[in-house]
Amino acid sequence: MVGPLIPMNYIPQAWDNVFALILGMGFGITLEASGFSSSRKIIGTFFGYDFVVLKVFFTAAITAMLGLLYFSYMGWIDYSMLFIQPTFVASAVIGGIIMGIGFSMGGYCPGTSFCGLAIGKLDALTFTVGMFVGVFIFSETFPLIEKMYNSGNLGNVLITDSLGISKALFAFLLVVAAVGMFFVASRLERRIKKVEY
Amino acid sequence: MDRKYTILAIILIVASFGLLILPEKDGTRETSPSKMLIQLNDRARFLSTDQVTERIIEADPTLQLIDLRPESEFRIFALPGAINIPLDSLLSPQNLNILAQRAKDKVLYSNGSIESDLAWQICTIFGHPRVFIMEGGLNQWYLTVIKGMEPSATASSKELNLHSFRLAARQFFVGGDAEPDAPEKPVQPKQKIKVVKQEPTPSAGGGC
Repeated sequence: MVGPLIPMNYIPQAWDNVFALILGMGFGITLEASGFSSSRKIIGTFFGYDFVVLKVFFTAAITAMLGLLYFSYMGWIDYSMLFIQPTFVASAVIGGIIMGIGFSMGGYCPGTSFCGLAIGKLDALTFTVGMFVGVFIFSETFPLIEKMYNSGNLGNVLITDSLGISKALFAFLLVVAAVGMFFVASRLERRIKKVEY
Repeated sequence: MDRKYTILAIILIVASFGLLILPEKDGTRETSPSKMLIQLNDRARFLSTDQVTERIIEADPTLQLIDLRPESEFRIFALPGAINIPLDSLLSPQNLNILAQRAKDKVLYSNGSIESDLAWQICTIFGHPRVFIMEGGLNQWYLTVIKGMEPSATASSKELNLHSFRLAARQFFVGGDAEPDAPEKPVQPKQKIKVVKQEPTPSAGGGC
């Protein structure tokens, strides 16, 4: 999990869980500090009164992306050792729709629901219970949907490979797009009257 | 707009633009042909079967034997502690971790030396550290360690020592009767093959 230090044997495998715990705590603290434990804040993205989700996730993505690209340039990180989730077209589309509905109805995504649960939110508790019910239903009906689940496997594709552009150009375009979105979002937030939540 | 956010946005854009204008760097850390030639002329990459055998018996923790033969042959017999990486899957990502580890001497072997040497060249091009070849491969290993010719009466003490080492090694691998006058039929060592399973690549967790 903690590449490249553990696969390269710089740190023993046994430390894996320790790092997972530390990273998980860091993630939780950041989510809570960004206000992600409030479903009304998260849902603001869909109603257009609070764009914190957009800002936090895009900032995280572009910071990590730039860090990776620079580290790779310096030769500190080997790209080929990174795990890339394989793309399953049908699963991605259907799963995305289900996730989107759940996200906009419940106001949480899985990670933030635990964040809300940790500070004792009842809606987060409801959401988490629902999530486990969903996991249970999915697991029990898995043999029925297994064929669809595994269909349309494109392998470990990257968007830069399918577009045929360099990683640096894509990174630059994404950063410009993200900064543009931040600008528009903060403009919108100022124009919309304050929503109490 | 808040000033600090403006500054952060500018830093991000400058940083990403920096990536764009950075001079193209040869990302692949390939060994240059001239360095390759020097390494090819260096016989230090070959380890004799006796050297390898000694390290197997000593259970040297820095030794990583890599069997380049097809899986079917590997299943029938392999040296203790060896892992199977067939030559055609040498570059697959899950084998990269094994070849790139710095703490171990990777000793390649096959039936002969040719495949090991090919694999060694590929590993060297990719800059993998501490890759060696068991000279002569399993055939040579069988001839020297398991079969082991008796030295002539006028042999030097060095040769006699080597022979007694081989006798002891034969006992280690085959067990039982290791006398030199034992029938020299191909012995199928009963040694339990220890297959070191590589942990599956850890998959990343969900999104948020």
